[in-house]
Formats: sequence, structure tokens, C-alpha cells
Amino acid sequence: MAVAPVETITRAAPGRGGGTPSGRRRSGTGGRLLRLPFYLLSLTMVVPFYWLLITVFKPPSELARTPPSFVPHSPTVANFYDAQWSPERINPGHLQGIFQRFQVDFGFWRFLGNSLFITAVTTVGSLLICSLAAYVLAKHDIKGRRAIFLMVIASMMVPWQTTLIPNYVIMRNLGWLDSYAAYIMPALAKAFVLFFLVQFLQSLPDELIQAARVDGAGEWRIWWQIVLPLLRPALAAMSIFIVLAEWNNFLWPLIIVQSDEMANLPVALARLNSYYAGPDHQGAIMAGGLLASVPTIVFFLLFQRYFVRGIALSGLKG
Amino acid sequence: MAIPLRGRLRRYGTSYAMLLPFLALFAAFLIWPLANSLYLSFTTFDGINPATFTGLDNFRRLTADDRFLHAIGNTSLYVVASVLLGTLLSLGLALAFDGPGWSHRIMRTVFFLPSVTSSIALMLMWKWVLFPSDVGLANTIVSWFGGGAVAWLATPGLTIPILVLMSVWGGMGYGMILYVAGLGSIPREYYEAAEIDGASAWRRFRHITLPLLRPVTTYVVVTGLIGAFQVFEAVYIVFRGTNSVGGVLDSGLMIVPYLYDQGFTHFKLGYASAIAWVLFLIIFVLSLVNLRLGRAMKEL
Repeated sequence: MAVAPVETITRAAPGRGGGTPSGRRRSGTGGRLLRLPFYLLSLTMVVPFYWLLITVFKPPSELARTPPSFVPHSPTVANFYDAQWSPERINPGHLQGIFQRFQVDFGFWRFLGNSLFITAVTTVGSLLICSLAAYVLAKHDIKGRRAIFLMVIASMMVPWQTTLIPNYVIMRNLGWLDSYAAYIMPALAKAFVLFFLVQFLQSLPDELIQAARVDGAGEWRIWWQIVLPLLRPALAAMSIFIVLAEWNNFLWPLIIVQSDEMANLPVALARLNSYYAGPDHQGAIMAGGLLASVPTIVFFLLFQRYFVRGIALSGLKG
Repeated sequence: MAIPLRGRLRRYGTSYAMLLPFLALFAAFLIWPLANSLYLSFTTFDGINPATFTGLDNFRRLTADDRFLHAIGNTSLYVVASVLLGTLLSLGLALAFDGPGWSHRIMRTVFFLPSVTSSIALMLMWKWVLFPSDVGLANTIVSWFGGGAVAWLATPGLTIPILVLMSVWGGMGYGMILYVAGLGSIPREYYEAAEIDGASAWRRFRHITLPLLRPVTTYVVVTGLIGAFQVFEAVYIVFRGTNSVGGVLDSGLMIVPYLYDQGFTHFKLGYASAIAWVLFLIIFVLSLVNLRLGRAMKEL
């Protein structure tokens, strides 16, 4: 897993010059000595990932061997796709790879697809819906605006698990259990996203919007052509939180998913994990975990700057 | 400038139409369920037969429910230990690696890695690292020092320490990023002035860095507390046994796993709603404390 270094966050912090914070830098041998425990600590970060990575390329026989090897003796991709395995002749020497294990159409691809689809629709949908509402709350002078905004802020104190049971009952009564709607619909109106976008919009001048109104642009057009582009950095920061939350969503899908086909990646992998306990299956399970991590890592690499800035912004404003 | 009535109606009509998608979903899947869950917490409800109102019964039973009290105790221990350790390490990491040089950027990325890895993958990885026989990484390391294989996941006394370790390991990189941003917002002039006055590195840290990082610390601690109270996956994936959601002897039973257990294994939806409201009250109080602290901070 080659991940580029987290970019310097100096740019994330508002209102200061940037550059080297030399004033507080402890330099020289003293600083290095103080840093030493943290360098040792970084080993505990790297070693488990290395362990996962080599497990994926070990054949089943090597996975069950003691003491375990730290370099795979005979690397193989059988944990992904086992060419020797066939459903007719079950050979104890061979195990199905992760792409062969699931008895659903498209196998493991189905769960990757489910997760990608749900994450994409939820992210785009909630950003559109929240930005629309944020535009009104930040820039329109309507009755009840304060009350609505206060209610949204207050709702941020509610742990979502409090609404778990009624939402499950709602989904069941609507006949939405085991459907994409059950994944997506309750996840669209995000209080935190609305709050963040309103804050961001309030800090922007009204002139652009008023000029557009004078030119005769309708409100919908102003939202689409002026507000959304202005919001771009805020939307990028928020999309990171939404994507990560949806991609890792587990408890809610665990409750609403019944069939094998509708599982997202976390649920599919959790089920796989509970079916197989032996060490020789761990290679395939880890292969699944690795594949589940690839999209978020790629996403991180693409949007690294927004990633770090988004996190920093949320903390500094909090 | 008075806008004609028709125009005003049209404009406000548009405003409300733009608010509608958010408000409708917000009401349907948050406000209504919240009210509903409060109602259900006063009922006995199995999900099939209509709910019957039983007043404060659920809450009275909770105060005498050994498993629930155990879950509260476990959660408190876990929350305090993981937030305390996590915050200290986050701050330490930020102080150690907040520079622009490549070696610091690489270290930051290394510690940030769990934050971009699929959380289910991390849980499965831990389960494999802690594999009970000699093939597990943890036991291999123990054997280097002459120890025998440890049943990591089946030893009740190790459950909470392992959960704390997993949480700190996975979360300190995120806290580090927040602290690095906080450090970046401290004006350099303060340090320069202090240096001219001959303040030692420790005094500079104690009297400039720490006080100015207070808002970040508050944020890291409070969001850490709120997140830790909601722990579920780690318990469910790593520790769930064949007959209990909380691991061996319920040693890893926490509030949300217990809520899941009562609601979706035993289908006591009313009772589970009462548990959900206890969780709500805990987090509500924490959020209020957060607000108070934030305000107090501004007045200083």
C-alpha cells in the first residue's frame, strides 16, 4: 500500500503566514531523542499492515504453519482467485479465492458494486439536498429560518443509534428492507453537512447573488450556477466525511439487509468472517479486506489536500 | 423597496420548495423516529404485536439489569482509557511530526493510514493478528520472548485493553492531524517573544502551546468521547462469540452492542429503545458540556 505523505497542513490553518514554524521547533539531538519513542510507535502502525499484505499472498498451507513466515515462501494469488478450485471436485488442498466464495451473481463484485453505488448516490444526493437548503438558510430572508437552523443544530446532539429502532420499523412498514432505498433515503438529510455549508455560505458576500437576481436569474439557476461553484471547497471537505461514513457503514446495513445480494462490503465481509474460522481461510478474508480498502485509499490519494484540510477545518471550527 | 405581493409569494414559495427535500427527509428519518423512539421506550414492543404502554417499566428494569450495568461499566472504562491515551498520543505525535519536511510528512501519513483504510478491514486484520494459536502475529511475538500462546480474544481480562488498544491505534493519526492544524494556527511571534525573554522549551510549551491548543483539545476530547460511547463494530466483529454479542462472559459488552442484542436478537424493541435513550442522554450531556466549555473558552 503505497500512500503518498499527508500534505503539509500549514495551509489548512486560517489566518497566519504559513512557512516553517521554526519558533517552536525543537531541533538537534534533543528533539530527535524526544521523537525516538514515536518512531518506535510507528513500527506498530506498519507491522500489522505488512502482516495483512503478506497474508493475502500466502497459500493456505503456509497460513496454517507455525511459526509463521514473514516473507511468503511461495507467493500466490489463490486467495483472490484459485485456479485449481472447482465447485464439482472439492479438494481439501485448495480453497476458493475471495472472488469465488459468494454464491450470488457476480460474486464479490456485487458487494463492491453495492458499496460504490450506495456511497456515490448518498454523497451526491446529500450534497445537492443540503446545499439547496443551506442556500435558503444562509441567503434568503424567510420566516422560520432561525427556528429551522436551531432545530438542525440541536439534532446534531442526537446519536443516530437513538433513531435506529423506529427507522427499522419505518423501513419494514414501507417494504424497503433489503433495498437500496433503505440504505440511501435515511442518509440524505445530514444535519452536520447543512450546518457546515450554512456557515461557509454566510462567510461569502451577498453581492454575487444579488447581481444575478438583478440580471433576472431565477433562484434555482442561482443555486446551480453561482452557489454550487462557490461552495466547491466546502463540498469537497464534506464529501470526504460522507464517503468515509457510507463506505464504512455497518450497523444500519446489518439490520436492513436480509438477502446475500443486498449486502454492502462490510456486511459481506463480516458474514464471511463468521462462516470461516480456520487460519487457512484468513488469506481470502484478508484479500477481501484489502480490496475493500482500495477505493478509500485511492480517494484519499486523489483528494489528499481536501482530506486533510476538511479534517482540520472541522476541528478548528468545532 | 417594497416587493409586490405576487413577487414575494413567488420568491418565498421557491425558498420553501428548496428547503423541502431536506426538511421532508429530516422530519421523516430523524425527528419523527426520535419522537417515536421516546414513545417506544415507555412500551413493550416485539415488532409484531402493537406496542403496549408500560410507563417507566423499561427504565426501572434497566437499573436492575446486570448485563446493562455491566455494559455501562465496560463502556465507561473503555471510553475513559481510550480517550485519555488517544488524546495524549495525538498531541505527542503532532508535536513530534508537525514540520514540513519529507520525513515528518511520511510519519504523519503512516499514523494516518488507519483513517483511510476500510474499518471492517482493520477489524478483520486485528482478529488475524490476535489469532489464538501460534500462527497469529501477536503470539509469534510473545513466543520470541519465551511466552506460550495466549488466547487473546477468549481471556475476559484482556478484552477491554485490546479494545482500547485498537481504538487508540486507529484514532491517534486523526487526532494528530487536528493538533497539527491547531499548532499551525499559533502565531510564531509568541514563540519568538518568549525566546527573547529566555523562556525554556518546556515553559514555552506549558504557557503558549498548551493554552492555545485548548479549543482543539476540547474538540478532540469531546468528539472522542461521543464516538467512543457509540462503539459497536470492534465488539461485534472481533469479540462476538457464538452465543453472546459481548464476547467471553460479556467482557466486551458495551451500550450499542447491548442495544443491538436486545433489539435485533431478542426483538425487545421497547427495551432497546430505552437503552437508546440512555445513550442519547449521555451524549446530550457531553454535547452540552462541550458547548459550555466552548463558550467559557471564548470569554477567557
